[in-house]
Amino acid sequence: MSTYEWLLFLHVTGAFLLLGGGVVAGSLNIAALRRDRPSEIVLLFGLIRIAVVSILIGTLLAFVFGLWLVHEAGYGYGDGWVITAIVLLIVANAMGGIGGKRDEATAKFAAELAAQGDAPSPELRSRVRDPISLALSYGSGLVLVAILAIMIWKPGA
Amino acid sequence: MLAVIRPDSWNLPLFLHVLGATVLFGATATVAIVGFAGRTHAPQAPMLARVGLKTFLFGIIPGFILMRAAAGWIVDKEFPDKTPGWVDVGFAVSEPGAILLIALGILAWMSVRRQGVGRIAVAVPVLASIYLVALGIAWWAMSAKP
Repeated sequence: MSTYEWLLFLHVTGAFLLLGGGVVAGSLNIAALRRDRPSEIVLLFGLIRIAVVSILIGTLLAFVFGLWLVHEAGYGYGDGWVITAIVLLIVANAMGGIGGKRDEATAKFAAELAAQGDAPSPELRSRVRDPISLALSYGSGLVLVAILAIMIWKPGA
Repeated sequence: MLAVIRPDSWNLPLFLHVLGATVLFGATATVAIVGFAGRTHAPQAPMLARVGLKTFLFGIIPGFILMRAAAGWIVDKEFPDKTPGWVDVGFAVSEPGAILLIALGILAWMSVRRQGVGRIAVAVPVLASIYLVALGIAWWAMSAKP
């Protein structure tokens, strides 16, 4: 295998961990939206942490080996599609991070309710369905899909 | 090394293929995660089994169809006559993999019927993990093209 092929494999591995982690987080989040019992919401939000680890490792691999690939494949770091992809990666991580922090606060509230009898609560229900958190988290996923499209079409290259 | 340029007409099927593959990977990982979580969180095992089955129905099946259909589309364009070995590795994973996924779906449904407990409930995340390894082999073949 050539250096280019190794770099591409590691970059693609990062992309799979990043996008796949997003799918895991989204699936568990959708499952949490449909639950009312606090203990179930705590568990589902807790499992999202596994996805977060995958997303962080994936981001690092995709970014580092992506930059290396740009050099190895003869593209320029100033190319529009490279800069756009980097900016969107930062935007996606910021959106996902802020949405994740809000979900973490919701999970803490759910844990308190679970310890106090585990009865469904209208406030927890509205926090889980908070439109800002949902927009940030799912918006982050859409930005990642846009990055994938840029990686494949490479507009302007 | 010079940048590898492919015809524009290959981009859409490649995008859909990779998108389907990542959805398939993420959905399979979800089934594995909720399946293993059901072992250590017995009171929530029935709920987790239902999450696993729904993820199979609404994540794994559409992801597999998108990945496989787009793979056939791009192979027809890129290799109309004879496919190279690395493409054959992909098909070697996806075709038997479909049988494994059918088994996974049946077991996930049976697991829901049995409230997420018993041997079948254990088999679901194990089978999903085996499929994740197979997907890893496929993406190595697709990207490294050995």
